[in-house]
Amino acid sequence: MASVSIDNPMTDAEQIGSKPPRLVPNYWPFVLPALLVVSAVIVFPWLFTLWMSLNSWTLGQPRTFIGFANYVRLVQDMRFWESLWHTTTYTALSVVLPLFFGTLAALVFDAKFPFRGFLRGVFVMPMMATPVAVALVWTMMFHPQLGVLNYLLSLVGIGPQEWIYNQSAVIPSLVIVETWQWTPLVMLIVLGGLAAVPREPYESAEIDGANAWQKFRYLTMPMIAPFLMIAVIIRSIDAIKSFDIIYAMTQGGPGTASETINIYLYNTAFAYYDIGYGSAMAVVFFLIIIALSFVLLMVRQRANWSDMEDR
Amino acid sequence: MASRLIRRKTLDSLGLFFVAFVMVSPVILFFLWMISLSLKYEIDNGAYPPILIPENFAWSNYLKVFEENNFLLYFWNSILVTGTATLLALVIGVPAGYGIARLKAEKSAVIIMIARMTPGLSFLIPLFLVFQWLSLIGTLWPQIIIHLVVTVPIVVWIMIGYFETTPIELEEAASIDGATPWQVFRLVALPIAKPGIVVSFILALIFSWNNFVFGIVLANRETRTLPVAVYNMLSFEQVSWGPLAAAALIVTLPVLLLTMFAQRQIVAGLTAGAVKGG
Amino acid sequence: MATVNIQNIQKNYGAVKVIHGIDIDISDGEFVALVGPSGCGKSTLLRMIAGLEEVSGGEIRIGPREVSHIPARDRDIAMVFQNYALYPHMTVEENMGFALKLKKADVAEIKSKVGRAAAILGLEKLLDRYPKQLSGGQRQRVAMGRAIVRDPAVFLFDEPLSNLDAKLRVQMRGEIKTMHQRIGTTTIYVTHDQVEAMTMADKIVVLHDGHIEQIGAPLDLYDRPANIFVAGFIGSPAMNFIDGRIEEGAFRTSKGLILPLPQTLPSIPGGRDLVYGIRPEHIRASTQGIEGRAILVEGTGSELFVRLDAKGEDIACLFRERLDIGFGDTVFAEIDPTKAHLFDKQTGRRI
Repeated sequence: MASVSIDNPMTDAEQIGSKPPRLVPNYWPFVLPALLVVSAVIVFPWLFTLWMSLNSWTLGQPRTFIGFANYVRLVQDMRFWESLWHTTTYTALSVVLPLFFGTLAALVFDAKFPFRGFLRGVFVMPMMATPVAVALVWTMMFHPQLGVLNYLLSLVGIGPQEWIYNQSAVIPSLVIVETWQWTPLVMLIVLGGLAAVPREPYESAEIDGANAWQKFRYLTMPMIAPFLMIAVIIRSIDAIKSFDIIYAMTQGGPGTASETINIYLYNTAFAYYDIGYGSAMAVVFFLIIIALSFVLLMVRQRANWSDMEDR
Repeated sequence: MASRLIRRKTLDSLGLFFVAFVMVSPVILFFLWMISLSLKYEIDNGAYPPILIPENFAWSNYLKVFEENNFLLYFWNSILVTGTATLLALVIGVPAGYGIARLKAEKSAVIIMIARMTPGLSFLIPLFLVFQWLSLIGTLWPQIIIHLVVTVPIVVWIMIGYFETTPIELEEAASIDGATPWQVFRLVALPIAKPGIVVSFILALIFSWNNFVFGIVLANRETRTLPVAVYNMLSFEQVSWGPLAAAALIVTLPVLLLTMFAQRQIVAGLTAGAVKGG
Repeated sequence: MATVNIQNIQKNYGAVKVIHGIDIDISDGEFVALVGPSGCGKSTLLRMIAGLEEVSGGEIRIGPREVSHIPARDRDIAMVFQNYALYPHMTVEENMGFALKLKKADVAEIKSKVGRAAAILGLEKLLDRYPKQLSGGQRQRVAMGRAIVRDPAVFLFDEPLSNLDAKLRVQMRGEIKTMHQRIGTTTIYVTHDQVEAMTMADKIVVLHDGHIEQIGAPLDLYDRPANIFVAGFIGSPAMNFIDGRIEEGAFRTSKGLILPLPQTLPSIPGGRDLVYGIRPEHIRASTQGIEGRAILVEGTGSELFVRLDAKGEDIACLFRERLDIGFGDTVFAEIDPTKAHLFDKQTGRRI
C-alpha cells in the first residue's frame, strides 16, 4: 500500500535507483475506510472464532485452552449429526423447489403479456418481505385447528395436517415457506439469463422446423444453464444458512426435528452460552459452506467450459 | 390471414397472463390473508370455516400493537439502526467499490463473497463479546455496527459492478481537464454512478431492515428492532392473532412499499448482483 | 502553444515491449498525425504524451518542461477522445467550462471563454443541452470545444472521427483543419486512416509495431516512401507490389512479366531480389504496355478501378476516364516509369 507522491516531477538523475513516481491515480485511499471496517466486523470475527474454538469457555466461567477437544466433541455429538441431516434435507429441498418454480416463472415472465411488469413486481414481493413477519403469518396458516391451509385442503378432500407441529412434516412445511419466499430470486436470475439469450437461433431453429419443446431443450436450456448454476449456488448458500424462518416458526422443534446446524449453533452459543463449543461448530459449519460452494463453482466452471467448446 | 395471426397473438398473451396470474396467486393470497387476519376480531379469526372479509373490521388491532408493545420505540430503533448502518455503508462502500473497480482488484471482492457465505452467527459470537467488553450492550451501537456486515458487502458489491461499466475515458478526460483523483471521483464518477448508488441504498436498506438474527442476540427490551419485537410478541402465547398479524404487517409494510415503488431498481440490482455473485 | 519533443520513448507491459524507443520533434503550431495499423502503438504513444500512461523509458518535453512524470492535470494539454468522453451529467456549457471551473476561474470568464469557443464551433444554441440530446457530429464539436476553451499548449486527438459516418467524417475533417489554422495550437492527431492523416497533417509519423517507419510531409511520404510498409500504407487504393529481379536492363518477374524501370536508378547488381512498386493511379489505359485480363471492374463514375491478371501477377489500376471494360476483357495498361519505385526485398527499403 505504498503511496507515492505524484506531484513531484523528478529529474533523470533522481530517478535512477528510486522507484519512478506514479501517474496513475492512487486508488488505495478510496478503499481504506472499507478495508478497516471489513477487517473489524468481518475478518476479526473469523480469526476470533477460530481462536475461541480451541478453548473451553462458557460465559461467566474461566476460559481454558483445550486444543481440538471441541472438534472431537463435535464429531461424537449425535445431536450435531442429526442437525447436519436436517440441514441437508432442508437445503436440498429449498434449492430444488425454488429452482423448478423459479425457472418456470422466468419462462413465463420472459414473454410479453398484459400487466407483465405489475405481476412481476407482485411476484418479487415475498423475497423482500421481512422473514420474521412472513414466518409469523405462516405459523397462523399452519395452525392445525384454525389454520386456513387445512381448510383449503378440506375443500379438495384432504384431511387435516399437523404441518410444523409434526416431527416428520415440519421440514417439508418449512420448505414451503422457504420456497414461497425465495422462488422470486431464482426467477430474477433466470430472467436475467433469458434476457441475454439472442433471438436469431430461435428464428433459424424455427426455419429448421424445431417445435417448442425442442427449442427449449436444445436452445434455451443450454443457454441459461450457467444462470441456473448461479441460482443453485446462491440458493444453496442461503438455504444452508437459513435461520429466521426456522427459528421464528419452530425454534428447531418439535423436539429437535427441525434443528439445523445454524439453529443448533445458536442454541449452543446464545442459549447455553457455550462459546468455545459454539465457535467450533461455527468453524465447521463455515467449512461445510465453503466446501459446498467450491464444489458447485467447480461444476459451474465445467459447464462454462463445455459451453465455450460448443461455440 | 393477418387477422387470424393477430387473434392468435392476443389469445397467446391472454393465456400467458392467466398462467402468470396463477403463479402470482400464492403471493396475493398470502398477503390478502395477512391483511384479513390483521383486521379481524378474535372471534372471526377463530371461526371455521375461515372468514376472509369480516363484517366488522378490527382497526383496534393496530392500535393495540402500538399501545401495548412500545412499538413506536421499536419502529424508531429500526429506523435508527437501518438508517445509520445503510448511510455508513454508503459513505465507506461507494468509494471502496470505486477503488476496487479502478484498481482492477475484483479478486479482493472474494472477501465479500466469503462474507456472504459466512453464517451470521459466526460474526455474532466474537462481536457480542467485544460489545460486552466495551459495555456497549444496551445501546443501539452494537446493532448498527453489526448491521454493517450486511450493508457494506451489498454496497461494495453493487458499486464495483457499476463502476466497472462506467467508461474510464470520462475520468481520463477529467484528469486532463485538471481534476485531482478526488475531484475525478466526486465530480465525475460519483454523479454518473447515481443510479447504482440508489440501487445499493435500497437493497442495503431492505436487508438491514429485515435482519432478525443480530437483533435477537444483541437487543434488549429498550433496543429491539421491529423484527425482534414482532418475534417477542409471538412468544407470548396469550396474544391474539389479530394484533400479531397487524404487527407483522407494520414491520414489513415499509419494505413492501419500497419494493413496489422501486421495483425497477431492485430487480436491476438483484439481477446484476446475483449474476455477478456467481 | 509549445513544441513537443519526444526522445527515446519506450513502453513495455511486463516483458512485452510495445514501443521501442521513439524520437519525434514537433515544432510550435505544427499539426502532426500519428498513423499506423491498429496495435502499432500510436494510441499508447499519445496516452503517454497525455500523461494517462506511464513511460517505461525516455522523456517527453512540452515546451522546455520535462513532463513524463507529471500527472495529466498539470501538463497543460487538452485531449479529444474517440468516443468524445463528454460528461453525461453536465450540459454542453458545463462540459466546456469544466476545466476552467477546476482552475477556479471566475464565472464571467468561464462564460465568455465558453461563448467564444461555442461561436467558433457553431454550438451557441446547444449550450443548455445534455450530451445524450446531441447528434454524433455535435458531440464531436463539443469535445473539440472543451479542448479549445482550455487554450492548452497542445491538442491531442485520439481517433476522433472513427465513430462518425463517412460523410460527417469528411466534414469534421475539414472543420478540425480549419480550427487548427485559426487557432494554431500544436496538435497531435492519432488515426488509423491514412486519408485523414494525408489531408490534415503538416507532418505524418508512420508507426508500425512500436517503431517509426517514416516521418515526413504527406506528399513526401506519398512520393518517396522510405520502405514497402509506408508505400503500402499511404495511398488508396494501395500500391501494387510485384516481386522480381533486374535482368538485361529490365524488371522481370519469375513468370516473365516485364515492367518498365525509372530512368534515374542507381546501379543495382543483377540477381538481387527486388520488389517493384507502382500506384494504381500511375497506370494508364493504353493500346500498348502490359497486357492483362480484367478480373475485377468497379466503376464509381469518376474513376474506374480495374484489377488485371497479367501473366499471373495481380495488378490494380485506377483509371480516371470512363472506359468500356468488362469482366474478362483484355486490357493494355501503360505504367508511368517515373512514378515506379524499387524496394529491396530483404530489407524492404526503397532504392
